[in-house]
Amino acid sequence: MPIITVYINGQKILTESGVTILEVCKANNIPMLTLCHLKGLHDIGACRLCLVEIEGVNRLLSGCTTQVADNMIIRTDTDRIKRYQRITVELFFAERNHVCAVCVANGNCELQQAGYAVGLDHIRYPFLYPECNVDTSHPWFVMDHNRCIMCTRCVRVCTQVEGAGNWGVMNRGHDVRIISDFNTPWGESITCTDCGKCVHACPTGAIWPKAVAQGQLTKYPEMIGELVEKRKLLQ
Amino acid sequence: MKKKLATVWLGGCSGCHMSLLDIDERILEVAKLADIVKCPIVDGKPFPEVDIALVEGSVTSDEHYEEILHIRKQAKVLVALGDCAVMTNITGMRNYFPLQEVMAAAYTHSPSNDGEGMWPNHAALLKLHGKVLPLQSVVTVDVVVPGCPPSADTIFYVLYELLNDRMPDLSTAQKLKYG
Repeated sequence: MPIITVYINGQKILTESGVTILEVCKANNIPMLTLCHLKGLHDIGACRLCLVEIEGVNRLLSGCTTQVADNMIIRTDTDRIKRYQRITVELFFAERNHVCAVCVANGNCELQQAGYAVGLDHIRYPFLYPECNVDTSHPWFVMDHNRCIMCTRCVRVCTQVEGAGNWGVMNRGHDVRIISDFNTPWGESITCTDCGKCVHACPTGAIWPKAVAQGQLTKYPEMIGELVEKRKLLQ
Repeated sequence: MKKKLATVWLGGCSGCHMSLLDIDERILEVAKLADIVKCPIVDGKPFPEVDIALVEGSVTSDEHYEEILHIRKQAKVLVALGDCAVMTNITGMRNYFPLQEVMAAAYTHSPSNDGEGMWPNHAALLKLHGKVLPLQSVVTVDVVVPGCPPSADTIFYVLYELLNDRMPDLSTAQKLKYG
């Protein structure tokens, strides 16, 4: 891969071409907020938290799906980006029913962390309070749609790493939902292998093992990336 | 000139007040700078004119609605204290259902009811609204302190800053917490 030059927040960086802005930032310790990104899974730019400004481009682009190009001038720390990041996190909270006080993931939740990172102290938008199902049909795990932020990490880990393809996405807009098989109870799934990778991939308390109580959930999302790396060694 | 401080408890569990009491001996420093003129255990109905009002809980009923409008008029700085006041939290969990269903669940179908399924409707009781609202959708809120409950340190920090005529900034002070 040819070596190219990019400028991130005024810092000159030499990097390989063909990598994303997020990868360059990670390699150079430039902080970048992410939610839907998980090492080992293909990036899709769903959460819009890794937004960057690129000189010559009017709109903000997601750092995880935009590849670097030679002499690209990138900013990750402008007020405009911070404003949009805060709006995005607020909309995550307003869109579903996130009640941290009763959530298993309280204190160990990537959505909470994102809120703290953008300085979110209250939500300026009206809460939608949608009626969401809690699927407890699986013998060990629960899918609580109230806490889902539609990052689709569970969908991707199920398809790309486990290869089972149990999870999918249904509908659009406010009505969008994660579904098991063809929108049937998770416990009746004919594709789910009960592997539990989606439990660890989920950034919030949307998918969790039945054995945990409020605030007791510990997850190990790094396991997905490690698994993918280990498999490469076997090939 | 000492400031006047008041606390009030709307649709909440009083946990934020418990956390306020957890500032322990630091209450003496607060007392040097302010008189606590009203709180849920102080007698006297009307909410007095104050410099700082700490409001715990969300707006769940006609009584809370009128009270918060009154408090807004009386308080120079209105602080939304705790997740219920800021984002309805647990009190808002009934917002996913129609009020009739919520009442039926509590008074008709609950195994612990009186067996007759009577709904309380005495004239002196508050009348629940269909939707629980956070404070900022009813009145202008000056300071928000999320947390369920906010820690004693956070509450003291906010109080101390306000009593010294500074605006607290929870994000910079790294004291943000939900749940």
